[in-house]
Parts: sequence; structure tokens; C-alpha cells
Amino acid sequence: MGAYLVRRLFLMAVTLVGMSILIFVLLRLVPGNIADILVDATGNDDPQEKARIVHDLGIDRPLVEQYWQWINGLAHGDLGYAFVSERPAIEEIAPRIPISSKLAGLAIFFAVLLGVPLGVVSAVRQNSGLDYGLRVLSLSGLSLPAFWLGLLVLMASVQWFGTIPIYDADAHGFFTQVKMLALPAIVVGFRSSALIMRLTRSSMLEVLRQDYVRTARSKGASNASVNYDHALRNALLPVVTVIGIEAAFLVGGLIVTETVFNIPGVARFLVEAIRWRDYPIVQNLTMLIAVVVVTMNFLVDMAYMVLDPRIKFGG
Amino acid sequence: MTAIDHQAALARAGANVTGWWSRTLFFARRYPLGAVGAVIVFLFIFTAVFADVIAPVDPTATNAKYSLAPPSSMFWLGADFMGRDMYSRIIHGARISLAVGAGAMGLGGILGISIGLASGYLGGWIDLALQRLMDIMQALPLLVLAIIMAASLGPSLRNTVIAIAIPLVPSVARVVRSSTLSLREQPFVEAARAVGMGELRVAVRHVLPNTLAPLIVLATAQLGSAILVEASLSFLGLGVPEPHPSWGRMLSESAAEYVRTAPWLVIWPGVAISLTVFGTNLLGDALRDLLDPRQRS
Amino acid sequence: MRLTTAIWAAGTAGLLTIASPSFAQKQGGTLNMPLRDNPPSASIHEEATISVVQPFMAVFNNLVVFDPNQKANSPDHIVPDLADSWSWNDDKTKLTFKLHQGVKWHDGKPFTAKDVKCTFDALKGTPDEGTDLMRKDPRKIWYINLKEVTTNGDNEVTFVLGRPQPSFLSMLAAGYSPIYSCHVPSREMRTKPIGTGPFKIAEYKRNESIKLVRNPDYFKKGKPHLDAIEWKIVPNRSTRMLGFVSGQFDMTFDSDISFPMLKDVMSQKKDAICEARPSNVNSNILINRDSPPFNNPEIRRALVDTLDIKAFNEILSQGHNLDGAAMLPPPNGVWGMPADMLATLPGHSTDVEKSRAEGRKIMEKLGYGPDKPLKVKVATRNIAIYRDPAVILIDQLKKVYIEAELEPIDTTVWYTKIQRKDYQLGMNLTGVGVDDPDVNFYENFYSKSLRNYTGYNNPDVDKLIDQQSAETDIAKRKKIVWEIEKKLADDVARPVIGYNVDNTCWSPQVKGVKLQVNSIYNGWRFEDIWLDR
Repeated sequence: MGAYLVRRLFLMAVTLVGMSILIFVLLRLVPGNIADILVDATGNDDPQEKARIVHDLGIDRPLVEQYWQWINGLAHGDLGYAFVSERPAIEEIAPRIPISSKLAGLAIFFAVLLGVPLGVVSAVRQNSGLDYGLRVLSLSGLSLPAFWLGLLVLMASVQWFGTIPIYDADAHGFFTQVKMLALPAIVVGFRSSALIMRLTRSSMLEVLRQDYVRTARSKGASNASVNYDHALRNALLPVVTVIGIEAAFLVGGLIVTETVFNIPGVARFLVEAIRWRDYPIVQNLTMLIAVVVVTMNFLVDMAYMVLDPRIKFGG
Repeated sequence: MTAIDHQAALARAGANVTGWWSRTLFFARRYPLGAVGAVIVFLFIFTAVFADVIAPVDPTATNAKYSLAPPSSMFWLGADFMGRDMYSRIIHGARISLAVGAGAMGLGGILGISIGLASGYLGGWIDLALQRLMDIMQALPLLVLAIIMAASLGPSLRNTVIAIAIPLVPSVARVVRSSTLSLREQPFVEAARAVGMGELRVAVRHVLPNTLAPLIVLATAQLGSAILVEASLSFLGLGVPEPHPSWGRMLSESAAEYVRTAPWLVIWPGVAISLTVFGTNLLGDALRDLLDPRQRS
Repeated sequence: MRLTTAIWAAGTAGLLTIASPSFAQKQGGTLNMPLRDNPPSASIHEEATISVVQPFMAVFNNLVVFDPNQKANSPDHIVPDLADSWSWNDDKTKLTFKLHQGVKWHDGKPFTAKDVKCTFDALKGTPDEGTDLMRKDPRKIWYINLKEVTTNGDNEVTFVLGRPQPSFLSMLAAGYSPIYSCHVPSREMRTKPIGTGPFKIAEYKRNESIKLVRNPDYFKKGKPHLDAIEWKIVPNRSTRMLGFVSGQFDMTFDSDISFPMLKDVMSQKKDAICEARPSNVNSNILINRDSPPFNNPEIRRALVDTLDIKAFNEILSQGHNLDGAAMLPPPNGVWGMPADMLATLPGHSTDVEKSRAEGRKIMEKLGYGPDKPLKVKVATRNIAIYRDPAVILIDQLKKVYIEAELEPIDTTVWYTKIQRKDYQLGMNLTGVGVDDPDVNFYENFYSKSLRNYTGYNNPDVDKLIDQQSAETDIAKRKKIVWEIEKKLADDVARPVIGYNVDNTCWSPQVKGVKLQVNSIYNGWRFEDIWLDR
């Protein structure tokens, strides 16, 4: 197991280094840089002003040097200065992380709350009308674009409540925050709930067909106890893993939802920063996302191994 | 995994597989939801191909008189801010969605298949390097990578296809690689090699066709997600630009501004996207059941 | 139409009550405002967008300012700000200001004549060693006639001009001309500026919010009335609108409510006061006259012949946008040519069918026709307010056998592309900071200006621009201005397809709002606004 861990960690490091090179190069392929944007924003295409800004920000230096500076800084916990706000990038990024995390956490919470029970019901009543209905519902969850769902929710909110949830950074207290984030979280979580439901259903079905469940049944255990005690507990393992992976991949849903609901989280900030060619922000944010994804994958694999004795460690 | 083809799968399922028609009927009976999906996907493709014939008017023609006109016999689904016919725009939007969806799927498929074949068939350090590359690409969520790609390339139809295709590559490559690995040692492949066929020919003639089943399943799923990603990119202003009537584009900015006076601007493009993706998902599910017995429920 | 008239009336009624002597302003309260995008920085001198001026003008003062109680900015309505009084010398080349005494910067340091000199030296591009007030200077062209700024003690400052320029005072009165201090470096001016104005910056969270708090030591006694102004950055227009309707915001962003949206706002918020006015932003067509096909003056002529200004206005603003030439048309505009003269200019004909027939004749003569259209591309910034008129233009071009395709350009490379002449036609928006011929002509049409993107270069027009600039008699000057407008139209230099008119709304509790009708950039000091609640 030790050797396997070392290998996994090494591969993770390789992936992250590769990611840093990829994002660094991609960004520099983007047409226009921050100086173009700052100067053009005033409708005044002054090459001298541009050259000065480019020089001040150091983006005229050799790429290798720029890359080294970034990575070296990262290693020392220095994320550099944001181009647009001219403040340390860490001060721009750090306050947005809890906002997106809260939203993502709440979304996963809603997704599990909805997905697991419906998945179980669907499996237990396999091929019933209810099962079909729930399967169609879950597929629709995978088919609705999150931003459209968001727009519909906003429309409905105005129609019924005459108001919309506007993000307020000064909202304190658990319930105020939950109330503020509930609608966007449901929008983000809807898709995940569909995934979770499908997975719960299929792994429930698989477990229900296993021998020990049949044995339990033949020994006279009640249907309910078989379904909910034996089967559910065993079926939840893959579900837990998908929740882990999904939590990392929620970022996609967060981007459009934070845009629709005007929530100042990291996801919307990333798009904004790409628009402004704010290299330090984009580079560091992308790395942050990559670290979260890679770590989640790793943790899920670990959890899987620890929880499921059938899996052997090895190459 | 073993070699699978439709005939065998259908035969296993106990069907009387003679002509095309009876096979279709069997499919419809065995997978009613899948059949619904197939119909939706067919309608979608039909609409996209014959958009010029179906759409009553030019989707880009503006007319001041009909700005935000409600649905009527003249504008079945209403008109947008510039007096353009929503119905015609939705019809032509199918073409954009299909172009981007199929284009991205095709391009991503070709790249993914090449990488997967090379990886699985050649093995060694090539495999190792390609696998690490795939790891890197999968370290970012699909939409995030697509957004960065789209921003780097600039908004246009072609660039949108590329931006969506690239993030689709790793999953195709993985599927092809794993089937290739298991197929490489199969007797019929060894036999082909024994009779002196070149490695590339063996790969393309014998290995590739046998990875088809999981690929079809994957492709259907990817068509749906490509359409969704296109819509999201266009919604964020990074995808297909005006005046192309992209469904996602139609939902961005201006549509939401007239939400109360002209709800049809928000409702129909969203319905079009959802229905299409829903159709591909239904079909994909049924195909998975049919072609990939391991996952059958 | 009837509805909008009613709203106009409501707006006017609201204004009348405000205009009556405000005997009972209440102190206190926080004004909640939406901002449409993240300002590129807080440094007004370095930027050219209302997204900077509207929130940050309240942090600063000018030497003089357009009278906030007048609806129109004009040279005869300029009042003291940091300067108590001013005077011209006899040959009108020296302008001397006596400064208000005892004014302090937000950090407590005293304001002196030296600060005025620093500001304008930096704007002229000749800053003193060691001062670093700005890294960008988009309005350098405003100060080409400024020779030097001299101080006489702490309380007197003189601007020395190369030749008489009556408009110089108007430029100083613009929202774009705040006074910076010598001692604050440019980075701080961009992120947390120090001014002398009625409000201080308490917090500026990028992409999120800007908090301004009352400056208790403001030199104008009894002002401002508000305790604070909170700006929330909301990039989505429908979200901003919903925020206003549901009461989260007390006011809309300036000119944020288009006519198609107005009905919706009024039906959801019955007591909203809405006022429509031109923003002095015009949509115009950029033409690359250096390469085919539009290097051919005949094809340029056919292009303007097909323009149907009314159709543009009907779609974009339900007919409220104004038809004008290079200057904002009267009655809101002070300088634009009268309507009957305008109708004689190419592209402004009232008989569109007739002029389109002429356009088609030109094109047929050149060998084009319904089966053999001229294919071109219309480049535009990838933003709705640019794209919408471009899509309509493409539709209208079909009428003279020009088949155009839209080429949306990422905002970041738009001006670079235009300046490289890498386009055929472009749809552009031009905002004019002050309704003044010097500001507009020097920026956009003078051969040496950096903002003259099309590189329009006509020595006759340059001469006329200089000539009107030095003319002190307003009536005579208007004649020259109209001549320039006509020449520009005849030359098909940036044909104007309309001046935007949009609505700004506020809730009835907000008192003391006075929107200026010929520029959105000049009336946002917020020192007279108060809340009745």
C-alpha cells in the first residue's frame, strides 16, 4: 500500500505541474493582454502607454522566466499581484473561496437529500410507473442547462415573491446565509441529484440481486429491512464516491449559476479574470480548481479501498 | 470485455433479429424510453438538416414593427427584440447545436480514438506520456477547460467546436485504450498479426471495430454534453456569436431583460436545448443497456 | 406612446417638486445603487466610462463644475467648486482661479494650488520628477492648447493657453476633470483614491461592491446629506432591474432602462420616477476608407443612402433615439444643427425609398445587383449595445445589394483591430464627455487625435476645428460647427445613426436628483441628494 500511495502522489504532482504549464501557455495564446484591455477600455490605443504597462507588469520578460517566477512564488506561498486590482492575488481569491464552498456544500446537501431516497425508491419499485417517472425526472435533471433553470427560478421568484435573492456580503448568521444561497444551491444541485439518484438506483439493483440479500430474504427478514438495512448500506459505497467527484466537478455549474444569481464566488471570478487577461488570478484559480479535483479523486479512491475489501492494492 | 456487436447483443436478448424493421420494433418494445429518445434525436437532426425548408422566414431578418411581438399566427413562438421570428430562430438554432455538437463529438472522437489506439496498442513510454496528458486534461471540469479554450481562441463557430472537442478527448481515449488493451491479446488479433498484417492495419481493421460498442454509448452521451456546453459558452458570451441563432446565445443578456414582457424569449430556447439533450440522454441510456451488458440493470 | 408620455409627465412632476426650494432635506441614510460592471479602476482621469465616473465623481472636486441645478451643461452655467472665482486676461489666453481656502484631502493634508498644477502637468504629459499620478491619459487631446500651469502662493493658479479657447473652462467643469493631489501615487488613485469630495471611499471590493461614506470635513457646509452610498456591482441588466423593482436599489444605473424595458419597470414598481434623456452617446458606422471596397466614394455614398434612421430608432428605442449629425441635436444639445438642415445631409433623408433607389442605381452602375451582391463584413464589439445596431445595419445593407456578415470582436482587441485598419465596416458607439465641439471634434475627427480611430484626415476640417475653437462669439461659432458637421456627413466620416435616449429611474424617497440632458458624465457629485425615509 505504501508503494501505491507514493506512486499515486507522484502522479498527482506530475499532473499538477503539467496543468500549470498548460494553463500558462494557453493564457499567453489568448489574443490581447491586460495592457490592451486597460488602454483600449478608454478608447485610446496608445502604444507607448501599453508598452509601459506591459513593462511594469513584467509580461514582456521571457516566458520561461515568467513561469519560473510564478511557480517559485507559489512554492513560497506568494501568488503574485492581480493585474486589475493591483492587490495581492491571495487577497482577491481567498475571500471568494468560502462563498463558492458554501454554495457547493449546500448544493451537494440538496442533491443527496433528493437523490438518495428517490434512487432507493426507484430501485425497490423497479419497472413500476413510479420508477419510470423518477427515471425521466432524473434524466431531465441531466438535460436542463443550469443557467436556464436559474433564469426560470428567478422568473418564478419575481412572479410569486416580487423579489429576487440578491447576494449580500454582510449577511451573517447561518439561516440568513442558507436562505440567501438556497435557490442558487438548488439550481446547482439539481444536476448532481439526478446523477446521485441514477447511481443509487443502479447500485441498489445490483446489491438486491446479490446472494446475501437473497439469503436474508429466505431467512424471513422483512422486505423493508432487507431493502433498507442490507441493501442500502452496501449500495451507498459507489454513491459516496460519486458525491466526492461531483463535489469537485460542481465548478462548471457554479460558473453559470454564480453569473445568473450574481454571487461573487471563485467560479464567476475565473471567467471575469479570463476576460481581463488577469494572468495571476487565472493561473492561480485554475491551479486551485485542479488541486481540488485531483485531491478529491485521490480521496475517493482511498475511501473506496478502505471501505471495499474486495479491491486489492497494486499497480 | 469481449467483442460485442448489435446482432449478438440483440440475439442474446432473445429477439428474432431478421430485417431492420423488426429490429427497430424490438428496440422500441424493449426500450420504450430509448425509442422516445431516438425519435427526439431524429427530429432534431431532421430539423437541423432541413432548417432552410422548415423555417418560414429568414432567422436574421429584423423588423422594427414586430419588436417583442407575442406569439401569433404570424410568429408562432413570438418575435424577439429586433422583430426576428423566434420559431425560425429555434429551427435554425438546431443546426448550430448539431453542427457544434456533432463537430465537437467528431473531432474529439478522432483525436481520442487516435490517442487511445496509440496508447493501448503501442504501450510503453508513449502510453505513459499520453496517459499523463489525459490526466492533466481531466484535472479540470469540462466546462472550465472549454471556457479557457474558448477564450483563448475567440468567439466563432469553428473555435467553439474546437474548444468543446478538446475536453472530450480524454474520455474517448480512455475507453479506446482499455478496450484495445484487452483486445490486443485476443486470438483473432494475434492471428491477423501472424498472417503478416502491419501493426497499423491490425489496429484499424481489427481492434478499432471491436471498440465500437462502448464508443457509441460514449458518443451519444457526449453529444448531449457538447450541446449543453455550447449553450453555456454562448450564454457566457464565449461561444457561437450573433447573428448565428444559437440557443444558448438567445438566452443570454437581452432575453432575460424582457422576461416579463416577453417570456417566450426565455422559454423556447431553453425548451429546445433541454428537449434535445433529454432525447440524447434517453437514447444513450437505452444504447448502454443494449450494447454494454455489464451495466445492464 | 401614450404610456411613455404619462411617464414623462410623472418624471417632470417629480422634478418640479424637487426643483422647489428644498427646505427640509433630511440628513442621513444609505443610498443603495447598482453598478453595471466592475470599474477598470477608480482613477477618473485614467478611464473613459460612466462605470467609473458615476461612482467615483463623488470622491473628488473640480475647480469649477457645470451647475448641478441646470438641466443642460452649457458654458453660461458653470459654477465654483474648488475655485471661488476665475477670470480671463484681456487676450483670453490666461485663466486665473482663486482657490477656496481651508480645503483638506480625505487624509487630512491641506489642498493647495500645487495640487492643481500637479494634476494638469500629469494630464499634459509633463509631470514633475517624482510624481506619478496616472499611467494612462485618454484625454490628452483636451490639453493640447495648454502651455503651462503656474501657481501664485497656495491659493491662486493660472492656466496659460497657446491661443484663446473658450471651451477650456467647459472641459474643466466636466466630471472627467477632477483635481488629484500631488502626494497620492497612481496605484492608490486607481484602488483607493484620495479626494476632497463629499464622500470618502470606505471599501472597494472588486467585482462586488464600493462603499462610500460621508466626508464630515467636506468644505461645502451642510453637505452631503447622505451618510453613505453603497454600490453593488451587478453585471446582468435584468438582475439590476429586478433589484430596483424589488427595492434593493434606490435608483437604477444611469440610462440603464431601455424603452422596451420601461413598461415592465413601471408596471412592477408603480411609484418609480423615470426620466428619459439622451446620454450623448451615439451609434456610428466606422468605414475603412483606405482599402476596397469602401475606398470608393460612390460605394460609401450607397452605404449611407440605404440608412433608415427611423427603423434603427424604432427597434432600439421604440422611436425615442434622436437623429443627429456629429453633435448632439437641439433642443437637448447646445451645438447641433437644426432639424431642417439635418434633413439635407446624406443618410438623414426622410424619403428612404427614394434615396435607396439612388443607392441601388450607384451599385448597379458598378456592376452589382440582386444576384451579384457586394460581400462585406461588419465588425463590432461583442456587446449587445454594439451588436444590436450592427444586426439591423446588416439587414438594411441588403437593400442596396450589399451582403454583410457580422464579425463580433472581443472587446479586448476591438480598438487595436480598428486602428490597424483590419476591418471594412464597423459599428461603434461614441460617448461624448462634454456637449462641446472642442471635446467632440478634437477627440474624434482631428487628424492628430489618438481616438480618431478611422484615421480621418481632412486638412480643411482640421482648420475649421481650430477656427471654431478660438471663436468667442457663440452664434458665429455655431455656424462653423454646423459647417464642420456638414463636411463630415458629406465625406461619410462616421455616419451617425442615432443618439441614444434611455431611462433612469429612482424611487420617490430619493430627493434632489437632477439629471443633465446633454451628458451622463457630469452630474454625479451626489452632494445634493437626500433620502426621505
